[in-house]
Amino acid sequence: MYTDYRVIDEYVNEYQKFEKVTETITRRFKTFGYKRIKTSAFEKYDLYSQVNSSVNKNEMIKVIDYTGDVLVLRPDVTIPITKELAESELTDQQELRYFYVQDVFRQPFDRLETIESTQAGIEYFGNRSAEADAEVIALACQTLHDLGFTDIKIEIGHAGFFQELISQINLNPLDLRELKQMIQAKNLVEIRPFLDRLQVDPSVAQVIEQIPLLYGDPVEVAKRAQELIMNDQLTKQLSHLMEVYEIIKMYGFEDQVNMDLGLINHMDYYSDIIFQGFIGQFGQPVLMGGRYDHLADKFGANIPAIGFACEIDSLVQAIGEQGTDPIKTDVLVIYEKDVMAEAIQLTNHLRARGYSVVASKKRKSTTNQDFRYLVEMNKVGYKVNQQQQTKSFTEIDELIELIEGGW
Amino acid sequence: MAEITLAIATGRTAKRAMVFLEKAGIDFPDYHNNSRKLVIYDTTKKIKLIFAKTADLCTYIEKGAADVGIVGKDTIMEEQPDVYELLDLGFGKCKLVVAGFPNQQLNNGQLITIASKYPAVAESFFAEKGKRVEAIKLNGSVELAPLIGLSDIIVDIVETGTTLKENGLIVLEEIADISARLIVNKASYATKTKHIQEFIDQLKSELE
Repeated sequence: MYTDYRVIDEYVNEYQKFEKVTETITRRFKTFGYKRIKTSAFEKYDLYSQVNSSVNKNEMIKVIDYTGDVLVLRPDVTIPITKELAESELTDQQELRYFYVQDVFRQPFDRLETIESTQAGIEYFGNRSAEADAEVIALACQTLHDLGFTDIKIEIGHAGFFQELISQINLNPLDLRELKQMIQAKNLVEIRPFLDRLQVDPSVAQVIEQIPLLYGDPVEVAKRAQELIMNDQLTKQLSHLMEVYEIIKMYGFEDQVNMDLGLINHMDYYSDIIFQGFIGQFGQPVLMGGRYDHLADKFGANIPAIGFACEIDSLVQAIGEQGTDPIKTDVLVIYEKDVMAEAIQLTNHLRARGYSVVASKKRKSTTNQDFRYLVEMNKVGYKVNQQQQTKSFTEIDELIELIEGGW
Repeated sequence: MAEITLAIATGRTAKRAMVFLEKAGIDFPDYHNNSRKLVIYDTTKKIKLIFAKTADLCTYIEKGAADVGIVGKDTIMEEQPDVYELLDLGFGKCKLVVAGFPNQQLNNGQLITIASKYPAVAESFFAEKGKRVEAIKLNGSVELAPLIGLSDIIVDIVETGTTLKENGLIVLEEIADISARLIVNKASYATKTKHIQEFIDQLKSELE
């Protein structure tokens, strides 16, 4: 009987998109000289209690080994890599560029069903300069561009900016959390009344109130911020961001960049520039990153570092919304038993040249759309079909010539 | 092709929002023709307007089905969407309150049951005070719940207080001031900054 494979096909198509995305990303990372690495699926639980990160300890999947040690399924990639490097003999002159495409495991409280997700990211160690920051942001832009997105925006901020401002006022953790939420929601309405209620020094409150408005074209935002800020630390941070922006311009990505001084890092280990990438119509950031010069301190080393990561599933979903072509197999060969030897020879030949080929004796329920070329072989002769056009051929070379240019 | 898509919560908010927009110089001709169209455009064709159920509006904006939305602060507090909340539009003013019978004692350590359209808000309000509560989600006629013994108290929005009074209830505590807000999808704000800023400036000019 006939089996309906269409249900499974949908999963397969979905996965083809996934693979296309990872391939594109991988290729781009390599062009910037990044080398692929892999970290262990299991990490020590203690590693994550050492560092304050975005990884909520309750969200980690814990496993106990036979000695009674508590392990966790890899909830993040940055921390283990940094630890590894901190323990190796890295000299000051060394620069390392690594990338990864790996599954991470977390079980958020409100979405118990999504434990596993694939992350692709880069980590660039050993360079503290504005050039390094700009290169990484340019790579982020270029990667999203490669994936076919057209409305790309990378928002750039500074982890120290908000930190510096709140260090001047005294807030308890609950109020601080509420203030962070308001700034993240750019809630212009409620910030000032909230700060006034807490009797925050009006000169600082006045600046904090303006944070949500420090958004948009970097040059313009920097000008407005300059008028507001009142100490050297903030001025230094701002001029660093502008230096990075000037270099991003040289890469030709100035239209893809917004400054957002209201960007607050979710991860406590970010120390300087932070950024997140958006694409039109997709409400959540598809890419997040920043500089974390002091993470290695926790493991007894001093290694400047910057990196970013993106969730492949979000990208696949976003691509789905923008629409792309399904991946096709190059050639489908249908042959009759009498010419089986010739057919196999043909497929070998095509595959040796790098084409994807499916050969089959009888026509299965595969549709024409899945293939670019349909080759039919029988005693009478050989035919190749592309978009309703059929041509005949006798030799393999003739077929290759047709495919490679002379249709 | 419209530059931005605006979503407005149907019902109470919608009528007032349309009046507000018109005053700000943004006019939707099809709205006045009693048209049944679900998607309409303003005279300049720059803004596409869709109407969404109040409960769905935050989702529309968060997921990017629309770029900007007009919705009550009460709904934002309940749904906690990950969006920007950029303007207080000043209309649709009311209060979110705890209401119950006069002289009602709630402090004897017993589990308090609350009927509300806003169970999440009700629970977090009392959790911060360290009180144990159970919230029951109702979709309408919330005032009825204490009368028939379904709950001890209610959390609801109050404009004039008439409905409460008629049912023998009074305001026990105020939770927040409510009014209509402009919310914005974060990606839209990033990718269409200029268009959205222009729209906001237009609304602001009406507010001043």
